[in-house]
Amino acid sequence: MAPHRQEIKEAVPVRQVIKGNIAVSHGVRLSRVKVISAYPITPQTTIVEELSEMCATGVLDAKFIKVESEHSALAAVVGSETAGVRSFTATSGQGLLLMHEVLHWAAGARLPIVLTNVNRAVAPGWNIWADQTDSASQRDTGWIQIYCESNQEVLDSVIMGYRLAEEVLLPVMVIYDAFFLSHTSEVVDIPEVSEVDAYLPPFEPEYRLDVRDPRMFGGMMSPDYYYEGRYVMHRSSRDVLHVYPRMCREFQERFERNYDLCERYRTEDADLIIMTAGTISSVCRIAVDRAREAGKRVGLVKLRLFRPVPDAHWRDALGSAARVAVIDRNLSAGLGGVFASEVKNALFPLTKRPAVYSVIAGLGGRDVTPQDVTGIIDQVLGADDPGETPIFWGLRE
Amino acid sequence: MERNDRKKGSVPYEFKTWRDFPPMNVSLGTMLHNRTGSWRFIKPIYEDKIPSCQAGCPAGNDIEAWTKLIQRGEYERAYWYLKREEPFPAILGRVCFRFCERTCNRDTLDQQVGIRALERFVGDQVPLSTPYPELPSYHGKSLGVVGSGPAGMSAAYFARLLGFQVTVFEAMPVLGGMLRVGIPAYRLPRSIVDEEFVGLKNMGIALEPNTAVGRDISLDECAHRFDYLFLAPGMHRSRSLGISGERGTTVISGLDLLKKIALGEDLQLGRKVVVVGGGNTALDAARSALRLGSTVTIVYRRTEGDMPAHAEEIAEAREEGVRFRFLAAPECIEENPNGGDASLVCCTVEQGKPDESGRRRPVKREGELFGVKADTIVTAIGEEAFFDPCAEILKKNNGVLRVDQELRVDALGIATGRIFAGGDIIGAPHTVVHGIAAGKRAAIAVDCHRKGVPFSEIIRRITIGEGPGISFSAYKGWEPLNAVSRNLKSVVRPEQVVYDYFERAPGIQSGGISAAERRKNFSPYEETLTAVQAEKEAARCMHCGRCTECDNCLILCPDVSVLVKGEGTFGYVFDYDYCKGCGICFTECPRHAISLVDEETPIGSV
Repeated sequence: MAPHRQEIKEAVPVRQVIKGNIAVSHGVRLSRVKVISAYPITPQTTIVEELSEMCATGVLDAKFIKVESEHSALAAVVGSETAGVRSFTATSGQGLLLMHEVLHWAAGARLPIVLTNVNRAVAPGWNIWADQTDSASQRDTGWIQIYCESNQEVLDSVIMGYRLAEEVLLPVMVIYDAFFLSHTSEVVDIPEVSEVDAYLPPFEPEYRLDVRDPRMFGGMMSPDYYYEGRYVMHRSSRDVLHVYPRMCREFQERFERNYDLCERYRTEDADLIIMTAGTISSVCRIAVDRAREAGKRVGLVKLRLFRPVPDAHWRDALGSAARVAVIDRNLSAGLGGVFASEVKNALFPLTKRPAVYSVIAGLGGRDVTPQDVTGIIDQVLGADDPGETPIFWGLRE
Repeated sequence: MERNDRKKGSVPYEFKTWRDFPPMNVSLGTMLHNRTGSWRFIKPIYEDKIPSCQAGCPAGNDIEAWTKLIQRGEYERAYWYLKREEPFPAILGRVCFRFCERTCNRDTLDQQVGIRALERFVGDQVPLSTPYPELPSYHGKSLGVVGSGPAGMSAAYFARLLGFQVTVFEAMPVLGGMLRVGIPAYRLPRSIVDEEFVGLKNMGIALEPNTAVGRDISLDECAHRFDYLFLAPGMHRSRSLGISGERGTTVISGLDLLKKIALGEDLQLGRKVVVVGGGNTALDAARSALRLGSTVTIVYRRTEGDMPAHAEEIAEAREEGVRFRFLAAPECIEENPNGGDASLVCCTVEQGKPDESGRRRPVKREGELFGVKADTIVTAIGEEAFFDPCAEILKKNNGVLRVDQELRVDALGIATGRIFAGGDIIGAPHTVVHGIAAGKRAAIAVDCHRKGVPFSEIIRRITIGEGPGISFSAYKGWEPLNAVSRNLKSVVRPEQVVYDYFERAPGIQSGGISAAERRKNFSPYEETLTAVQAEKEAARCMHCGRCTECDNCLILCPDVSVLVKGEGTFGYVFDYDYCKGCGICFTECPRHAISLVDEETPIGSV
């Protein structure tokens, strides 16, 4: 056995240098997940390998269901979650797309599944590197979506994810970049099991599959009732905007780490606020600091909660700036950047609103460096008008 | 098991506004009024069947059930359960030829279950002198048993369980027949045989050794003394080679050799022994002579593959240093006029056309003679009957006692209809387990006669599969281990087992002693499995045809129509209100413990 696995069995060192995928498996272990079903796909595969090893060695007391596709993996988890058992799956890119039908089902059935998605580009062309189009294209499925910037955040979000999901009864997608996080080691503080137990109680659903109390799950809903069923789901999603901050505060009290649903960095007097999600946020922090040193008043809002849309929070965070540059590591063909589109939507009610500059960068894993962000900052500051076309940063022309 | 029937007293649930909706898409009413069972045209039933091992056992040993008890750690219970069908597990667990293992369905997956080793384990759990618990009272009829070999012992045991007063007559000073004076001690320690008889005595069975029927007491007298007689005198006389020189001083029969060793009698055995024959007696005699310090050669007129002896005996004998000479037919024995080694003159043999046994007939190559030097020649070419009271009948019938359908000897002229016979003497295969089976069958035959019920009908009902095993438990109406209806006729074939549900696991071997160590003495060399080994080996049993509550049917039923019976009660029940007869439970039962029947069939008719 590899050394770090042996350590898990005996005593988990509190601070480790681990890859994002390993951080996920710790989160799953600490959350006392009981059923796991996942299909391997680069760059998620090591999650599956790690978890199956944990199940086999008894470190994790869970049933690991082997399946032949991602569609079946999520379907299996839908089944186990309907039976009232805390369940987990993980995927990436094409795998997430293959799950699409079941993603809708999981949310509509109000099952508190946590799924970690490694952001990977959508084919064709066949590309395994970081790109947000996979998860962005699933924004209408009803899943809560959380984007992470660091391996620590990934681990913590799995735990918070179950807490949140089980309270509002909606599934949570914890999302992070391919390779930049999945396969890059960072310092991670791994919580104590007892601490997590105090934060995350056992899953006790009101309705579950029980042969002694047979019910119909997911049955027909005629035009007379379907609308209200969907409305109820939408309301629960909006409830997250109240529930999340409370859970976040509790998490901070217990684990001393804070995860605002949108984090502000040096935005108080900013003329230009950059808004982005994922590891580009880390790069932006460096660029913001450099810009400030150069006398430019630039700030960053890190997009963490994407669904439900925290429109009021975004208005509050962005409204005061003259310019907002939204960097999308995704592209919805025919529309442009997905985050930019949603931000504009959220800002629309403001009578005085910032000019929103949509920037597309880093598609298919193309690196976005601090120099790139500095360039973006300069370009945005130098342009009076965003125009109708996004800035396709780094496009070979 | 009851389902929560919300239908009782429920009103249609009204959703007036979105506030009335449950948090998820779940029904709050019930559809239990929709009895989907009406869609069925075939129906599953829980029906235990006969595993292939039990079908292969001549005595009908209910192996699967006591194996299950080993797995549960209930060793003592396993012992008494085993004894319902087979009275002497400590013996059979050491000497049986394992017909069960040859038919074990596990062989298709990896390797057959070590059933004999498991039986031996069970046999060693309880002191053999312990009488069968809760013996029935005597009904007043008596049974005299002639011969204390396996058939006689078995008949005495089962007859006692049927309430008979039993007396066993044995011509020799020791009890047990071939178990005691035939099978060598390295295979079956004498103390085990002796202890079993203490157990029989403690059951109330009277034992009369040193009493030869025909010599010390007449058959006539026996017929008067007892309501019924069971003749099981066996075949304990050796067939003669029919060659010149056979009556010489250096010649002894295999059976006599084994008996002398067993009784501790004086034995003049030479240094160079030749054994003629290829059956188990020849092997037993050869390996015994070896242990007494002689060099031994077995001479056989056919090939090794044709030898009736058990393959494991041949292999172990060879390991111990017994030499073999095949395709050699004895011609005559030439004594040495100066004393010293005689010579067994043999003729080389080639293989001709197959005879009635299916083996190729040995054809002598006239003139091609050779001599094998020996100072002792042991003849072991088969046994024949020797029972004075039936001498005439035996002669007329090719050395075999003829019995009718009800196991009764005809043409004796006395006690008509009350004298039964079984075992070697009526031509049964010469194995211990066949003897045991014969005794069981005879006890039932006698009991049927006593009760005035037709034996053939009873036998038809209690025969396992197509036989020859019969179920004593079925005769007595004892409940099987699983409280599930049982079909005695349906034997599970390998095609009916779903091997995908079983993981490969090698068979457990108990420790062995080297051949060099073994041949030094007559100590037994095979070890009984430890409890850990026994439970591990028992866990390899797939329980063909017998429910193990594995939950497969319950998990896979798409209509949630397999319900657990409840606290403490074994097994499941189908909810026929909703079962649509899809057959998934039947197909996916790993061990074929479910049957699909026509919808018209009422449960319990099989």
